[in-house]
Amino acid sequence: MTKPDVTKNGGPAADGLSRRNLLRQAAATGAGIGAFSMGGAGNIQFIPAALAQNEPPMGTWPAGSQGPTVSIGATVPLTGTYAASGSDESKGMQLAVDHINEGHPLIKKIAPKVTKGLLGKQVKLLVADSAAKPNEAVQAQQTFINQNKIILMTGSTSSAVAVALNHFAEREKVLYVTAITGSNDTTGKDCVRYSFRQNFYGQTAAAAIGPVLLKQFGKNRKSAFMTPDYTYGHTVTKSVNDYLTQHGGWTMVTNQVSPLGTQDFSQYLTNIANSGAEFLLNVNWGRDAVLSIQQAKQFGIIPKMTLIVPYQTPFLAKEAGPELTAGVYAATDFWWTLEDKYPLAKMFVEAFDKKYGYKPEWGANNSYMQFAAWARMVSEAGSFYPPDIIKQYEKGETFPSTVGDVHFRPEDHQAVHPVIIVRGKKPSDMKNKEDYWEVLEVLPGAPLMQTPDAFGCKLGAYT
Amino acid sequence: MLRQRPFLVEALTAAGLIAVPFVLPYLGFTPATVNRILVWGLFGIGFDILFGFTGLLSFGQSAFFGTGGMVAAYLLTVLDYPDVFSAVFVGMIAAAVVGYLVGLIALRRTGIYFAMITVAIAEVFYFVEFNPLAAYTGGENGLPGVPTPTLHLGFTTLKFNTDKSLYIVLAVCYFVGMVVALRIVRSPVGAVLRAIRDNPLRAAAVGHNIHSYKLTSFVIAAAYAGFAGGLLGIMQGFMPPDAFTFDTSGQLVIQTAIGGTGALFGPLVGATVWLYLSDFLQTTLHLGATWKLVLGVVFVLLVCFLRHGIIGGIYDIYRLATGGSAAKAKAGDGTPAPAMTAEEERSATHAALAEAPAAMPMAARRRTGDEFVGPILEATALTKRYGGLLANSDIDFSVKRGERRGIIGPNGAGKTTFFKILTCEIEPTSGRIVFDGRDITGMSVTDVCQLGLTKSYQVNQLFARLTVRENLTISALAELRGKFRLDMFRSVPKIRGLAEQVEHTLALVDLKDRADVPVAALAYGEKRRLEVGLALASSPSLLLLDEPLAGMSPQERVEMVKLLKSISRGRTMIIIDHDMDSLFELVERVTVLQEGRVLVEGTPDEIKGNAAVQEAYLGGVVAA
Amino acid sequence: MINWANFISQCFNGLVLGALLALISSGLTIIYGTLGVLNLAHGAMFMLGGYAGWVAYSYTGSFIVAVIAGSMFVLVVGVVTERVIIRSFYARTPEDQLLVTFGLGIVFVETVRFFFGSLSKMVPPPPGLVGITPLGFMFYPTYRLALLAIVAAALLALYVVLYRTRIGMIVRAGIEDAVMVGSLGIDVYKVFMLVFGIGAMAAGFAGIVNAPVVSIAPDVGEAILVQTFVVVVIGGVGSFPGAVLGGLIAGEIISITSMFDPGYSYVMLFVAMTLVLVLRPYGLLGTAGRE
Repeated sequence: MTKPDVTKNGGPAADGLSRRNLLRQAAATGAGIGAFSMGGAGNIQFIPAALAQNEPPMGTWPAGSQGPTVSIGATVPLTGTYAASGSDESKGMQLAVDHINEGHPLIKKIAPKVTKGLLGKQVKLLVADSAAKPNEAVQAQQTFINQNKIILMTGSTSSAVAVALNHFAEREKVLYVTAITGSNDTTGKDCVRYSFRQNFYGQTAAAAIGPVLLKQFGKNRKSAFMTPDYTYGHTVTKSVNDYLTQHGGWTMVTNQVSPLGTQDFSQYLTNIANSGAEFLLNVNWGRDAVLSIQQAKQFGIIPKMTLIVPYQTPFLAKEAGPELTAGVYAATDFWWTLEDKYPLAKMFVEAFDKKYGYKPEWGANNSYMQFAAWARMVSEAGSFYPPDIIKQYEKGETFPSTVGDVHFRPEDHQAVHPVIIVRGKKPSDMKNKEDYWEVLEVLPGAPLMQTPDAFGCKLGAYT
Repeated sequence: MLRQRPFLVEALTAAGLIAVPFVLPYLGFTPATVNRILVWGLFGIGFDILFGFTGLLSFGQSAFFGTGGMVAAYLLTVLDYPDVFSAVFVGMIAAAVVGYLVGLIALRRTGIYFAMITVAIAEVFYFVEFNPLAAYTGGENGLPGVPTPTLHLGFTTLKFNTDKSLYIVLAVCYFVGMVVALRIVRSPVGAVLRAIRDNPLRAAAVGHNIHSYKLTSFVIAAAYAGFAGGLLGIMQGFMPPDAFTFDTSGQLVIQTAIGGTGALFGPLVGATVWLYLSDFLQTTLHLGATWKLVLGVVFVLLVCFLRHGIIGGIYDIYRLATGGSAAKAKAGDGTPAPAMTAEEERSATHAALAEAPAAMPMAARRRTGDEFVGPILEATALTKRYGGLLANSDIDFSVKRGERRGIIGPNGAGKTTFFKILTCEIEPTSGRIVFDGRDITGMSVTDVCQLGLTKSYQVNQLFARLTVRENLTISALAELRGKFRLDMFRSVPKIRGLAEQVEHTLALVDLKDRADVPVAALAYGEKRRLEVGLALASSPSLLLLDEPLAGMSPQERVEMVKLLKSISRGRTMIIIDHDMDSLFELVERVTVLQEGRVLVEGTPDEIKGNAAVQEAYLGGVVAA
Repeated sequence: MINWANFISQCFNGLVLGALLALISSGLTIIYGTLGVLNLAHGAMFMLGGYAGWVAYSYTGSFIVAVIAGSMFVLVVGVVTERVIIRSFYARTPEDQLLVTFGLGIVFVETVRFFFGSLSKMVPPPPGLVGITPLGFMFYPTYRLALLAIVAAALLALYVVLYRTRIGMIVRAGIEDAVMVGSLGIDVYKVFMLVFGIGAMAAGFAGIVNAPVVSIAPDVGEAILVQTFVVVVIGGVGSFPGAVLGGLIAGEIISITSMFDPGYSYVMLFVAMTLVLVLRPYGLLGTAGRE
C-alpha cells in the first residue's frame, strides 16, 4: 500500500472494506436474478421476489438460499439441566422439517402454500448442543452462519439463551424463532425485530393460573416461591406473585432463588419448611424442577404444602412420578389430550407418536408450530429476504394451529396463543401410562396479555 | 533468543497476522474461529508473562477476563456508551485494578497454595457476578447486544460488523498486545521476572523486591485478560457469564501448556490447536461431546512427554538440527583437574596469589553515606533459638572496614545460621546488628543487599534457566535500578553502566568465554565462581562468603582463592570455610565458633596455636 | 426465614454437608501432605465413585454392593494412576504436577461422559433409609441422617488408619518430614502408592454415599473440588484434623448464610477463606512446612 493510496481511499482498512462491499453488491445482483429464476422453476407463480431482488445482501441472504437446500441452525440443550426437554424439542423440529419437505397434510393446513419443500428448496435442520448456556449457543450459531449460511436460527429452552440469541439475530440479520422461553423479557425489554416467540410466558401464565388458584384456594394465603436465578425465573415469579397479591391478597413469605443446575436444594428447602407457607410455587424448570420437587418430598414439605407449577416443564410427571404431581395445578402451552378438541392437535400427536413412540409434550409441539408458522410466512411472502418475512409476520394474519387460531402481534412479535391449565391426575385415574394431566381450561391468549409496550419492547430496524 | 534482532519478532508477527485471512480458510478455519483464537491468544500473552516468565501458575484468570468483559459490555449496552474502543480500555483498567487487589491476597503464598487461592478467588467472582451483581452483569443472562466497533475518521466511518472486518480489529489488538509484551519481557522488569521464576530466594537476596515484581506481573496478566474479555463481548455481540467459570481458566492453562510457555506465542499456538481440533472433531468427525475426551488425552500426553509444549518442542528440534547449542560445544569442560597433594596445592596457591589478578575488581559502593567511620559491621548479643535449640547464643561480633575475616568452627557450630542472621535472611531471637552505622536488625534481605551487604551461598543459588551473563545482569540490575522500578518499556542494553559492570564481573570470575552458556551447562567449579559473581555483581561493600571452596577440586580451589584475594581490595569480606589452609592465607583475622558461641578470635597464627581451638576441632573430628 | 427453628435446621444441614466435605478434603490433604502433589483430579475421583457405585447398583440392586464397588474401584484407579503417571512427576515442578492432574481430571470426566452420557443418574437410598424422620425442630430425610453417621464412621476409620497403624505413622511422619521417611529405609514409593489410593478412595466413597442425596452427573466433581480447596486452605494444607475442622466450618458457613440469602453462601465461604489467609496464612491447624 503506497502513501497516495492511503490518503485517497481512507486507509488500507477502508480500502479493503469498500472493495469487499463492491464485490458483495455484485454478488447480490447476480443472486437476485438467480433467486428469481429459481422461483420460477419452483412453480410458484406470484412470488414477489422482485421485492428483494435489488436489495443489498444482508446476513446470510442471499448466499444461504441460493443452493437447492436452505438450512436452519438449532441450538438446543442436549446436556445439562434442560437436556431432556432439549432433545424433545429437537424431535419436534425434525418432524416439522420432514413435513415441510414432504408437503405433509398437517403442514399444509397451517401453511397452504408449502409444496414439497419451501419455495422449491429442501429444508435442512442442523442441531448443536447449547447446554442451555448462552455462550455455547451464540458460538454454535456463529459457526452455523459461517459454515452453513443458515437462514433461520432456533433453540433456547433457557430464556438466557433466547435473550442472547435475540440480540445476536438482530446483529447478524438472521431470523430467529425462539423455541421455549418463558421470560417476559424475550418479547419485552429484550425484544428485537428479527425474533418471534410463539409460546406462553410469565405474564400469560400468571394471568391464566392466577384466577384458577384464587377460585380453588381462596384469598389471603401464604406462598413460598422457588425461582431459578435468571430472567425466566425472575419474570415468571414476579408476574405470578403480582397477580396473587394484587387480586387475592396472597403473601409471599419466602422466595428461594437458586442457580440454574442446582443439585442439592436442602438449604433452600429448609428455609421453606420453616417459613410457614401453605403453597409451594415452584418456578424451577427441567431437571431443577424434578430434583427440587423430589427433595421437597424428602423433606416432608410435600404434601404438607400444596405444590403449584406456574410454568410447566415437559416430562415433569414422567420423571418425578405421577404420585408427586397428582393434584398439582400447572399452566402449560399444550397437552396431548387436546387432540380430542383440535383436529390439528390429533394429526400432530399421531404423527409424532408414530415417528418417536411417545406422546409429545409442549416443547415438541412448540418447536413444530413455530417452524410451521415460519414456513407459512416464507411461502406467503414468497421470499427468503428477511425483511419480507418479518413484514409477513407483522401483518398479524390469523392462521390455524394445534390449539386453534393464532396470530402474531406486530408490536412485540409475540404470538397470541391460548394458555392451557392442567391438573395432575392421580395414578389411579390415569387412562394410560402417559395420561398424567387433566386439561381444566383452555384460556384464549389475547385477554391474558399485557399491552405490547408494557414490558418496554422497542423493535429495531429491518435492515 | 527474543533479543538478538530488533523488531524481527514484531515484523514476523505482523506478517503472520496479515497472511492469516488469506491462508487459514484453506485449512478449514472459519473467520469466527480465527477471531476466537486471537482473543484467546491475547488472553494468553498476559498469562504467559505470569506463568511462563514469572513462574506463577494461576487457575483464576477467568476473574479478570470476566471483569474486563463485563465492565466493557456494561458500558456499551446498559449505559449506551458510544465508543467501543475506549470501553474496552476502561474494562482493561478495571481488570488491572481488580488484579492488583486480588494479587495482594493471592501473592501472600506461592506454588500450590497460590494456585488454590486463585481458583477460590475466581469462584468468588463467579458467585458475585451471578448474585449480588446480577443487576449489573445480567447474572445467568450475561449482557447481550454488545455493539461492534466503528471508527470515525472524520472523512469516513469504518464499521467492523462482520467476522472478517472484526478480524482486522482483533489482529491489530493482538499485534499491539504482542509488541507491548515483547517490550516488557525485554525490559529490566522482564529480566527480573525470569529471575523470580528460576529462583525467587536469590532474586530477593540480590536486592530485588520480588513481591512487588510478582504483583506487577499479576496486574499485567489481569490487564491482558480484561482486554481480551472486552474483545470477546464485542466479537460475539454478547458478554457471556461463562467467562467467569473455572472452565475458562482451565482452558487458558491447557492452551498455554499445549502451545508452550515463555515465548508469548504459546497460548496462540495452543488456542489454534485446541479450537481447530474442537471444530474438526465436532463438525468433521462428528464426535459430539467426545471431542473433549480426545483433547484431554492429548493434553495429558503432552504434559508427560513434551515438557515445554509445541513451541518448546519445535525449539528443541531446531537446536538438534543446527548441531547443538553453544552449551553443548563446551560440555566436556567440567573434567576435574588431576589431584594434587596438599603440599603441591599450597605452593600452587602461593604461586597463584603472587600473580597479578586478571581484572581489577569494581569499587565497592557505599550507600549508607560516607560520614560513618566506625566498624562496618557490629553485631551485639545475637541469639537465635529454634524451639529448645540454641543455634546462636549471645554472639558479639565486629568487623573493621576493609578487613578480611574468616569464620571457622566444627560442624553444627552455627556458622551458617550466623550468616543468615547477618544478611537478614532470618531474624535473630534477640540482639542487634549495625551495618555501616545503621541498625539493620529486622530488615529484609532485599533492603540489606541494597545497602551493600550480600552473601554467596553455601549451596549454589543460581538462575538455572538463564545464561551466565543474564545471571550477572540480574544482580547488577538490582544495584543500578534499586529494589523496585517499573521501567517496563526500557530496553536492558540501554541501561547505563550495566554492560560494563556485567562484563567486568565476568572477567573477574573468569567466565568471559562462557558468558552465553546457560547455567545448567556449567561445570561445578564454574557454577561456584558464578555464585560468587552473583554476589559481587551488585558491588557490595560487605561480602559474606559461605564456604566458597566447598566441593571444589584442588585446582579449582586455587583459582577461587586467587579470585577472592583479588576482589577483596577496597571491600570488606567475611568468609566461612573448612579449608583452613586456604582460609588462613586469605584472611587477616579469624573468629572461631563452637556450639553457637564465639570461642576465640585472633590472627591466623594465634588461632593455629590456640589449644582451645585444637580441642574443639579434635572433638569435632572424633564426633564426626 | 430467620427464626430459631430454621437456624437449628440449617446448622444441621451444615453438619451433614460439612462432614461430607471433611471426608473428601481429608483425602486431598493426606495425598498432598505425603506426596507433595495437589491432585486436581480429586473431584473426578468423587465423581468416579458415584458412577462405579451406580453401575454396581444397576446390576445388583444392592446399595451396600454399590458402596463397596464404588470405593474399591476408585482405590484401584488411584493406585494405578499413581503407579503409571504421578510417579514420574515427583521430580518435576509443582506446576507440571498441577497440569497433569488437571488433565487427568478432564480425561476421567469425559470418559464417563462418553460411556454414560450427560444425563444425571440416580442411586436410590437403601430401602430401610427412605422416608422422613422427625427431629423435633424439623422433619429430616432419613437417608441424610444416615449419611451423617456413615460419613462420620468413614472419618473415624480414616483416623484409625492414620493414627493407629504403622502405615499411618509413616504417612504422618512423611507429612512432617518427607526426607526423613526416605532415609528410614522405608519403600516410600509403595507408601505413596497406597496413600494416593486411600486418598482417592475417600473421595470415591463420598461420591457414592452422596449419590442418593443428589443425582450424579459427569461434572459433579468440579464444584466439589473447588470447595475442598477452600476447606484445605482454611484447615491447613496437609493436616487431617485441619481438613475435618475446615469441612465443618465450610458446611456451616454455607448453610447458615443460606438462611439469610442462599445466593451469598459461597461468597461468604470464600470471604472466610480470605480472612483465614490474612490472619493465619498456614490455615487454622496447619504449620509452615510445605509450600
